[in-house]
Parts: sequence; C-alpha cells; structure tokens
Amino acid sequence: MSLLSVENLQVHYRTGAGTVRAVDGATLSVEAGSILGLVGESGCGKSTLGRAVMGVLPDSGRIAGGRVIFEGADLVAMTEAQQRAVRWRRLSFIPQTAMNALDPVQRLRAQMLEVLIERGGLNRATAQTRAEELFRMVGLDPVRLSDYPHQFSGGMRQRASIALALALNPAMVIADEPVTALDVIVQRQVLDVIRELQSRLGLAMILVTHDMAVVAYACDRVAVMYAGIVVEAGAVREVLERPLHPYTMGLTHAFPDVHGETGELVPIDGSPPSLLAPPPGCRFAPRCPFAVARCHTDVPPAVTSGDHMVACWRADEAPALRDLAAKTATWAAMDTP
Amino acid sequence: MTAVIEARALGKTFGSGRRAVHAVQGVDLSVAAGEALGIVGESGCGKTTTARMLLRLEEPTAGQVIFDGLDITHLRSRALLPFRARAQLVFQNPFDALNPRFTIRRTLAEPLRNFGIPEAEHAARIDAVMARVRLTPAAAWLDRFPHELSGGQLQRVVLARALIPGPTLIVADEPVSMLDVSVRAGILNLLRAARDELGLAAIYISHDLALIRYVCERTVVMYLGRIVEEGPTAALIAKPRHPYTAALVAAVPVPRVDQDRAALPIKGSLSDTPTGGPGCAFRDRCLHAFARCETETPALRVAGDSRRVACHLDM
Repeated sequence: MSLLSVENLQVHYRTGAGTVRAVDGATLSVEAGSILGLVGESGCGKSTLGRAVMGVLPDSGRIAGGRVIFEGADLVAMTEAQQRAVRWRRLSFIPQTAMNALDPVQRLRAQMLEVLIERGGLNRATAQTRAEELFRMVGLDPVRLSDYPHQFSGGMRQRASIALALALNPAMVIADEPVTALDVIVQRQVLDVIRELQSRLGLAMILVTHDMAVVAYACDRVAVMYAGIVVEAGAVREVLERPLHPYTMGLTHAFPDVHGETGELVPIDGSPPSLLAPPPGCRFAPRCPFAVARCHTDVPPAVTSGDHMVACWRADEAPALRDLAAKTATWAAMDTP
Repeated sequence: MTAVIEARALGKTFGSGRRAVHAVQGVDLSVAAGEALGIVGESGCGKTTTARMLLRLEEPTAGQVIFDGLDITHLRSRALLPFRARAQLVFQNPFDALNPRFTIRRTLAEPLRNFGIPEAEHAARIDAVMARVRLTPAAAWLDRFPHELSGGQLQRVVLARALIPGPTLIVADEPVSMLDVSVRAGILNLLRAARDELGLAAIYISHDLALIRYVCERTVVMYLGRIVEEGPTAALIAKPRHPYTAALVAAVPVPRVDQDRAALPIKGSLSDTPTGGPGCAFRDRCLHAFARCETETPALRVAGDSRRVACHLDM
C-alpha cells in the first residue's frame, strides 16, 4: 500500500466570479521513502493539491470531494483533532518562501524549540540538543540558532525551514517550489540537502515544481498536472524519455538544455483553460496539435500500463506522436485570438 | 565590426567611505550590431546595475558608456532623447510593465508619439511590429486590454513596444523568468528572430546559462561586481576558464535523468566574501586558491580564442 494516495481529489475556491475548480479529480500516490515530483504550469493546481493534502488551504478554498489516504487513514474524513495528530508530526510542509515558515521577530532557536516542545512534547534540554542536530543535518552551524531569519541568506533560510519541517521526524514532507526563488548554485545545494536527507532518513516527499530539470535531478517519480488533473504519472526516466501525453511531450521540448542541441525550441502556444468553466472533453485539447473530434467532447480516462499512467485518447499512438511533437511546425498556428 | 554599445571601466559605488558598496567595478564590454551578449551571474553580482547603467537608467560613478561612437555618460535628458529611441529595455515582468487602462494600440502608439514619429506612420508601424511578434491579425488584438491577454501574449506586446521606435540595441533583463515554461520558448524564438532580421545588438541578463546559451553567442560572467570571465558561450560552457564559471555551469539543472550529481566545485556561500583589501573576491569559495589569490586582485586578461579571464590560475 502506498504511504499516500490522493483519490479523485476536488478542491474549489470561492471567487467573485464563481467557483474555481482548481483541483478537479486529481489522483496520485507516493510510496514510502520516495520523492514524487508534481509538475505543471502556474494555475494547474499543483500547489493547491499540496496545500490541500497538508490542510493549509487559504480561507476561500475547501476540499469538495475525494479522499486523501495517508498511512491508511483518510485525512478528509478526519476530525480536526485527529488531523492535528497527523499534520506536522507525520506529514510536514516546506513553503516556497522560507520567510513564510519563519517568524521574522523570533530567533531561530525559539522557533525550533516551540515546535519541538509544544508540538513534539520534548523537554527543554532534549529539544535543545535536537535543534542543534537538525541544524547540522541541513548543513547549518548550530551557532546560527541564535540568529534572526533576516541575518540568513535565502539558501540558509530555506535550509532552516527544512530543519523546521523535519523537527518531529515526519514520514512525509510536502515541499512547495522549495528552490524556485533561489540562485542556481544555492538551488543545487538545497536540492542536494533534500536528496541526502531523503535517502538517509527514508523520507517520502512531494516536490511541487514547474521545472522538469528539478524533477530529473531529484525525483524518483513524477506526476504531470494540467488544468486541475493529473494527466500523466510514472517513473521519472519513463516519463521524460517516453512521454505518453502530448502536454508532457511539449514540455520536454520547451526549454533549452545547457549542454544539448541549440536547435529551435518548441513552444506550446495558447494558455491553460479557465477553471471557472473548464472545457468539456480533454482539457488540453484546445492547445493540442493531435486533438481529434472525440478529444473535444469526451474526457479521456486514466489508463495505467505497468507503473505509467496517462489520460489521453491517443496514448496508443504515442511513439509516432513523439516524433511529430519535436517539430516546431506541429505546434505552430495554435495561438489564435 | 564597430560596437553599437561599449562600456569602459564602468563602475557604480553606492554610499561612501567605509560603508561604500562597490556594486560594479571596472566593467569593460562591447556589443556589435547583430550580436547578442549574455551577462550571467547570481543575485547581487551587479548584472542588472550594469545593464541599467548602459541604458542610462542608473548613473555610473566611474567609467564611460559609448553608444555608436558617442560618449553618452554625461548627456542630460533632452540630449539623451535620440539614444532613448535607439536603446530599448524589454521589461522582465509583463504583468506590470503595461498600463492596464491602455489598449494594446495605445500602448504601442505612446512611444511613437514620445519620439516624435508622425501620426500618419503610426498605423503601418503598429501593424508591422504586431506581425513581427506574431500577434496576427493585428486588428484582433489591438483593441484589447492587458487583462484580456495571457502572460505569453503580454510579453509579446512588451517586446513589440520595445521594437516599435526602431532601436539598434535591446536590453532584456530576465525576459522570460515570469513566464510559464510552455510559453518561454515562443518568446525566446521571437527575440532570436528579431535580432537576426533587424540586425540588432542585444544584451540579455540572466542567471540561467541554458537560456543565455540559446540566445547569445558571447557571454560575460560576473561575480560580486566584476567580470570574471568572457568568451563565446558554447566554449565558455564546454571549458570554463574561471573556477566560478565552472561551478555555475555544473549547477545548471538539466532535464535528463542521467547526469552528473557530484558535489559542486565551490565551497561556502556568497556571504563568505573577504571585505576590502587586495586579493581575489572569490578566493574563500575557490577550491584552487593559493597564496597569490590572497594578495593580488587578478586582472581580466586575454586568454586566447576571444576569451578573457580574471584568475591567477590557467585552468
């Protein structure tokens, strides 16, 4: 059984214009001790999904359906008290901006001790030792526990927020774009800390990112989201090297590789649909060069073969479509007013 | 090849005395017509300040900016107007670069009016620039407001606004960093096409070497306000001559499963910087530093095949 299974999750936001179905029937699973990359562009629902699992949705958002099974129990069906026993202890969170996890007017020691003593029930002396150990674990000098967050660089703050997330020995951590705001060298160093901790502590993770290269570097499995739905999932090598969904195919040709070819990049023109009133059928169909009539009317079911899941009517033709997807001409002229 | 723009010993110091911050020091560079130069480095390396000085949006405290052979370092507002039309900035964030109350047509007409282009030419110029950024037919877009466009479409308008006065130089600071991956490629392709077709000189500022490689033949790497290396982009990536460039290249994420995951060839963090005095600013993070690096600031020297490097080692 998976450590976490998200089944047909629905998350809605109330807005002045109506209900935004930010996550609209998303399904994925994470095995113990492995890192799942959750990728997609802004507005695809990846951060919302992560926040819903963690129970930190903004006030306007709510889980409108589906199940979140973590360590055998459904978080959605739990009372708040039951949820509190799981969240932060067994399941923890690293936000995109470390400043959101850290209190700017408290020294880091006070923040670490608060979590360890009040949530973790440790005594002061044990908590003190544990705080130092956590700092060393993420590559920070324990002397810096006496600092305020503003005395830290961006990379150090992100390390501190990782230490805070690991304080109570969780089985799983959800990291929301943990390296997006960092410079490349610091980004790589923080990813190395994450990989090292994951293998040493046997931690499971969902790493929410928009960057396929981050997935390739740090993740075991990947789930690709588009317009509120997981459209493809599988082992990273399988999905990157043999993508089955045209959106994933597009993404793999859409950005430059520093050591690879400098031939023309292939853009995916157009933009994701409004989630106030999503189109019928496949949500990618309006941007998809391979869409046929059925794609515009019927929702493609998720089909799994081995460990590789895809929701596309033309998945059987994927090898031929992959060749076409590498050509600019295939995607041209999709951007109509 | 004559340079469209040239920086000579360009410098910017904020504050003075003991609290002075040398944001940019001794920057020499030049860009010819039809050529694209990349400036890469991490936050705080001075790349954005350098670009702003080249565009005279920031006053240099040292050195000169030469545009088309003319020293423009100290020109004042009215005298700068012809330069303003010919050197254009492509803004980073398309979501706040455009006036939300202006239609696309008015957004594009505004610079024409500012630079005194006769009203009779406006419509033809607007149509031409809309075709160049592939927003066609123009009539379908021109009466829309920014909120009706996607990020990628807005960035095309931002590019159109920069191109419409007929510049010979464009400067783009992180031109796609605010955009989704799927639409970045479209903007980068337009930038490449505009540069090729119009023979523009272009300067791209980015922390992303992969992006720079895609659009620039030549690249300078900056570290703490100074150029540490310069060379043809492909050669600089294949064989870095400065230890900092080597770390920067190794850190670029690549979208492949099989890749080098060895520790980066760099230690410490940006805060590990010797303050004041002579010596190389990178020495405390360098895996190859030796005695001379403590006492003598390495000068930017020619290192064969159109490369320059500021390092005592010969990597």
